Amino acid sequence: MTVMGRFRQEAAPIYSPAEAWHNASMVDERGLIEESRSLGGDYFLLKIAAPRIATTAKPGNFVMVRVSPTLDPLLRRPLGILESRPPYVWLYYQVLGHGTRLLSRLGPGDGVDILGPLGNVFPELPGKRVLLVAGGRGIVPLFHYARAYGERRPLLLLYGGRTRADLPLLERIKTLRLQGLFIFSEDGSLGQKGLLTDGLEKIVREEKADATMSCGPEAMLARVAQILKSRGLENHASLEALMGCGFGACHGCAVRTTAGAYRKVCDEGPVFPLEEIQWRT
Amino acid sequence: MADLKVDLGFGTLKNPVITASGTFGYGEEFLPFFDLDILGAIVTKGIFREPRPGNPPPRLQETPAGLLNSIGLAGPGSSALQEIIRRLHAKTSTPIIVNVCGEDDDEFAEVAAIFSAMDEVAMLELNISCPNVKKGGACPAQDAGHTARLVKRVKEGIRKPLVVKLSPNAADIVRVAQAAQDAGADALSLVNTFLGLAVDLGKRQPVFANVYAGLSGPAVKPLALRLVREVCRRSYVPVIGMGGITSGRDVLDYILVGAAAVQIGTVNFYEPAAAVRIIGEIEAEMDKLKIKDLSEIRGKLQAG
Repeated sequence: MTVMGRFRQEAAPIYSPAEAWHNASMVDERGLIEESRSLGGDYFLLKIAAPRIATTAKPGNFVMVRVSPTLDPLLRRPLGILESRPPYVWLYYQVLGHGTRLLSRLGPGDGVDILGPLGNVFPELPGKRVLLVAGGRGIVPLFHYARAYGERRPLLLLYGGRTRADLPLLERIKTLRLQGLFIFSEDGSLGQKGLLTDGLEKIVREEKADATMSCGPEAMLARVAQILKSRGLENHASLEALMGCGFGACHGCAVRTTAGAYRKVCDEGPVFPLEEIQWRT
Repeated sequence: MADLKVDLGFGTLKNPVITASGTFGYGEEFLPFFDLDILGAIVTKGIFREPRPGNPPPRLQETPAGLLNSIGLAGPGSSALQEIIRRLHAKTSTPIIVNVCGEDDDEFAEVAAIFSAMDEVAMLELNISCPNVKKGGACPAQDAGHTARLVKRVKEGIRKPLVVKLSPNAADIVRVAQAAQDAGADALSLVNTFLGLAVDLGKRQPVFANVYAGLSGPAVKPLALRLVREVCRRSYVPVIGMGGITSGRDVLDYILVGAAAVQIGTVNFYEPAAAVRIIGEIEAEMDKLKIKDLSEIRGKLQAG
């Protein structure tokens, strides 16, 4: 039996590109790097002048960055938008391989092609008491959300990482309007010791959250989904994926849903209802 | 000013740049980036009769100057594509070529007939060469006999010109090309992706669930150019060349070995408006080399 055969009996994807478009405003813009700052460890904060993207980007959107004009690497890298304040966008990323390493070597005055804003957005949920759950670099779209909507609604942030070094954005986070900030590190070097999921249930209960928005490693999201199951909250998650194009053309970034279909993380996501994702872990 | 027009015998294209199947979505995805009217033609992502989820992730792996894919022809099925094509045709006058797939000969013929009946469709491309459908990469284009039977069968049920897309993984692509044209193909397109393998050393497993995947991108251009030349030398129907094109110069290389037109693929992923740049570069390059018409260099490779 072929690999295809196994899926033939399952729910068929109902899909049409026009319905999946969220960003008719996406552009391939020549950004100009204003600042590239090492935050210690493998973490970098990049400030890029990209006025067109900065003007239209909303929390949840991401960009595809061409880290080199050569054929090495061939593909762009998907990076979340930490913050946008025209004419600037801020990207926060971890050096994980060849592409991000090349990006980290660029500096002020260097040009870089960025395609965006891409993907869908987090729902605004006016009036709701929203808990943001950020694991490591998963802070990126949630920071954007808090910056954009923190003035208008009560927001709580649960932020965790392996060690203090994995939570270098803390100073910047303190500039956000939050009603509660809960920090976890696995080694106890910052905040409470343990996984952020250890504290999730108690925080949801005591802080009376109506909704959650999560972003982080897949194992963390799977555990968050398990803990929040049947609690009656509205839960959303932003996913990370390897992408070929970032705008729905290549179908390379598929994620499995509990209905048995595949969804493209790039233009049908990256934000999905938490319960819809079939976790691999 | 250079003349980029291409005469395929059964129709003309305003220039030789066609966007390759599977790399240009259903056309609409690229509307935010440029006016699709500038293209020679658009080939839509391969379509089966029914919706198809595609292969489990991972579906991509980057290689040096290349890309391995195992998408598995995910798609919405032929009814949904008919709707999309009507929408696309309302937005562009560029000829639309539908890439037709099938699990068996019956399905190929049925899907081809469906799209042949659409006024909005200019021609069909028969995708007998996708390596990501059957485990291990098997496809009809590896066998000359099967290719001949299938092309003949499909041709009987359609009224539109038929382009047959060949596989570089056939033991003898020239034989398969001859079988396709003798069976009635109006044109040939080549190459589809090269079968490749990526492994996960830690897990002692292949990276892709289908084991093998298809390699495309600039890395394959010399391999593809050779195969296009070989096929052009023995074919009496127009040949559409593709494989690793990223510049106007690359396009002219394919024309020089005999291609009537070309398709651009992987470059569309990382540079969505690549077609605009490439068409501009063809004109500039032709002016520089004092070439007025592509026919001046088509098939003029002097190799003794």
